[in-house]
Amino acid sequence: MHNLDPLILARIQFAFTVTFHIIFPTISIGLALFLAIVKGLFLKTRDPVYQQIYRFWLNIFAMSFAIGVVTGIVLSFQFGLTFSRFAQIAGPVIGPLIALEVLTSFFLEAGFLGIMLFGEGRVGQKLHFFATCMVALGTVLSSAWIMSANSWMQTPDGVAWENGRLVVTNWWKVVVNPSWPVRLPHMLLAAYITASFLVSGVSAWYLLKGRETVFARRTLSLAMAAACILIATQVMIGDRLGGVIVKYQPAKLQAAEGWWDKTTPSPTPYLWVIWPDQKAQFNRFEMGTPYFGSIWLTKSLTGSIGGLRNTPVAEQPRMVLVFYSFKLMLALGMTMFAVAVTSLWLRWHGRLYSTRWFLRILVVMTPSGVLATLGGWYTAEIGRQPWVINGILRTADAVSPVPATTLLSTLITFVCVYAVFFFAFLIFTLRLIRRGPGGLPAHALPSGSLKRGLRPEIAGVQPYLAGGK
Amino acid sequence: MNLPLLSALFMLFALGIYVVLDGFDLGVGALLFAQRDQLTRDRMVDAIAPTWDGNETWLVMAGITLLAGFSIAYGILIPAFCIPVTAMVVALGMRGVSFEFRHNSTTLRRRWDAVFAAGSLVAALAQGVIIGGLIQGVDIDRNEFVGSPLDTFSLFTLLTGVTVVAGYATLGAGWLRLKGEDATRTFAKRHQRWLPLAFLGLTMITSLVAAAVQPRLVASWPAHRVALSWCFITFITCALGIAWLARRDDVDDRIGFGLALAMMLSGVVALGISFFPNVIPFRMSLWDAASDPETQEFVLIGALIATPVILGYTSFAYWVFHGRTPADGWY
Repeated sequence: MHNLDPLILARIQFAFTVTFHIIFPTISIGLALFLAIVKGLFLKTRDPVYQQIYRFWLNIFAMSFAIGVVTGIVLSFQFGLTFSRFAQIAGPVIGPLIALEVLTSFFLEAGFLGIMLFGEGRVGQKLHFFATCMVALGTVLSSAWIMSANSWMQTPDGVAWENGRLVVTNWWKVVVNPSWPVRLPHMLLAAYITASFLVSGVSAWYLLKGRETVFARRTLSLAMAAACILIATQVMIGDRLGGVIVKYQPAKLQAAEGWWDKTTPSPTPYLWVIWPDQKAQFNRFEMGTPYFGSIWLTKSLTGSIGGLRNTPVAEQPRMVLVFYSFKLMLALGMTMFAVAVTSLWLRWHGRLYSTRWFLRILVVMTPSGVLATLGGWYTAEIGRQPWVINGILRTADAVSPVPATTLLSTLITFVCVYAVFFFAFLIFTLRLIRRGPGGLPAHALPSGSLKRGLRPEIAGVQPYLAGGK
Repeated sequence: MNLPLLSALFMLFALGIYVVLDGFDLGVGALLFAQRDQLTRDRMVDAIAPTWDGNETWLVMAGITLLAGFSIAYGILIPAFCIPVTAMVVALGMRGVSFEFRHNSTTLRRRWDAVFAAGSLVAALAQGVIIGGLIQGVDIDRNEFVGSPLDTFSLFTLLTGVTVVAGYATLGAGWLRLKGEDATRTFAKRHQRWLPLAFLGLTMITSLVAAAVQPRLVASWPAHRVALSWCFITFITCALGIAWLARRDDVDDRIGFGLALAMMLSGVVALGISFFPNVIPFRMSLWDAASDPETQEFVLIGALIATPVILGYTSFAYWVFHGRTPADGWY
């Protein structure tokens, strides 16, 4: 096994565990806000449909949250398992950001999750709503810190070298590094969009089957309305992010747009399909929409942009991976935008719940947010290569001194275990959906209030009072 | 101010809380192996379901404090213990998802229970192996681990692993007696009779073997003899106390659990004292591995502000689910 390269194995292992992990926080960040809104609507209107929506999605939320938590614990040790030199050099900088994430968010989520899942019958509706809001707040704070840490790796600031280690000179500049203010809303919106398409897809399936119509209509209406606002905002944020990347990580955008030439032709087409040859630094094949590149990227009819040859070969990311990850995200984003616009049109004409072709599209689009988010993360992470900290530390210099054989066996372990997680999650979620909100064993059935929990003897004498609420 | 020392104390604080809190829920998980009755098993899992997530967060807190405050040590220790660490996180993962999956599964609930129990057991074993590995010593050259990932496995680390399992099971039995009713409580009481004694015996044997395996451990003892003696006395008293209380019904169940907590904590403190002032025992001191003051300050200020709040709402969460677990579960 001498031909195994520890660097490649470390990268695959980190990529695999982080890819798998991000799917679940994305879903639970989005669902947490959705649940908080639904619970709020229930408290305001007392309409039992909202309660039904809450209980149904709570179960799916709980599963994705649990997988997110345990795969997150894995990640907090992955820094040492696969990239311990990165941990030694950059630990003093990103360690505190993650420590603050644990302190401000993980504990908050964990503390109130139990009440959210099991406490409805013990704390009363308002406190239960509060617990739900705290969990949703925890997911936002968590994203804020982790995006700060990752954005610092993309656009590092506020540090200096000292004896082979990084020393923080300005914490404010580390936390609020140049790309963070744009990348944080980009990720949060991605999570919220993911949840709205997930929720819409499931509701559309019920409407197609003619089941649970009241539940499904209300859910679809909420989720599609949210999707319209969110995706329009996302388009603007995405455009702003492009500006930040051009300024700080030009190689990433050069690779994502698929051009090699130092200056692209005028007018520049927008490339959709390429077959790049990284060695010879040109595209064997390319296909695109004329003029569109100039219009989109330079906001003019004939403007040009720079290609990847502007970046020294030793500092270039692999174009084929960055390009297609980015196009996956872009194509899905545009499709979701089109779906959102169509939903507005149909809603205007009162056909949102009855247009079968549209409902079918929504069912197909159920996982679109997850896939787009992954595409975006692959663009961000592969586009940063060969750096682990942009311009400061190369990935190749950050790897752990762990033998390749050990890395291979731990990788296989993670793949097997995560496969079990994934299929179990999928099977249980599909089963819950098939069973529907009507026949579900709710996570928390109302069994009274905290008062009853405190004074069992009173409740025992007057069970109908507590039960009649 | 001695920032690295404060960071180390905070890390020990997080580890201590982790060991007692996740200790009891890992212990409950491992005790599932000894319980065949499905209904009692459900009650056992219900007893820990609302709070396990918060318990496990203290492990992440300790790990990330190591990463931030002692980056050099983190970069040595995690690769050195890459196999038990991987085993631990995978096992914790298996049991974490089993909470949800067993709840949603009707036909395969027994299988998920087995996964849950095995995950709890392996996580506890792996933590014990890591402690044993720390006592054995880690091969380092300047700031890098130069040994083999297999170094950590030996008969001695197997012994420390089993000792930790016994300790967690003692805590788990105490918790179940506190939270359970009828069959669950009887089950807990039965195991409380022998578990603390097994934990005590194993700890004695482990200490003797450790003294043979790592002479520098013995060398560190005389300097802290007073504190270590107190830990030792507490440990023995609690073990005997739990075993004695297990036969009596006229004492508050909370006392037995409190003694188990004290027993475990005295073990953690004794271990911390024996390792002091090293972060990698007998090889690298806190100050040699410490990150810069700017980093320590940032983490410590955050911890100082956040920890009281965390303890506040965590206590509230425990209080919401106080008393015995309802006979039909939380669901």
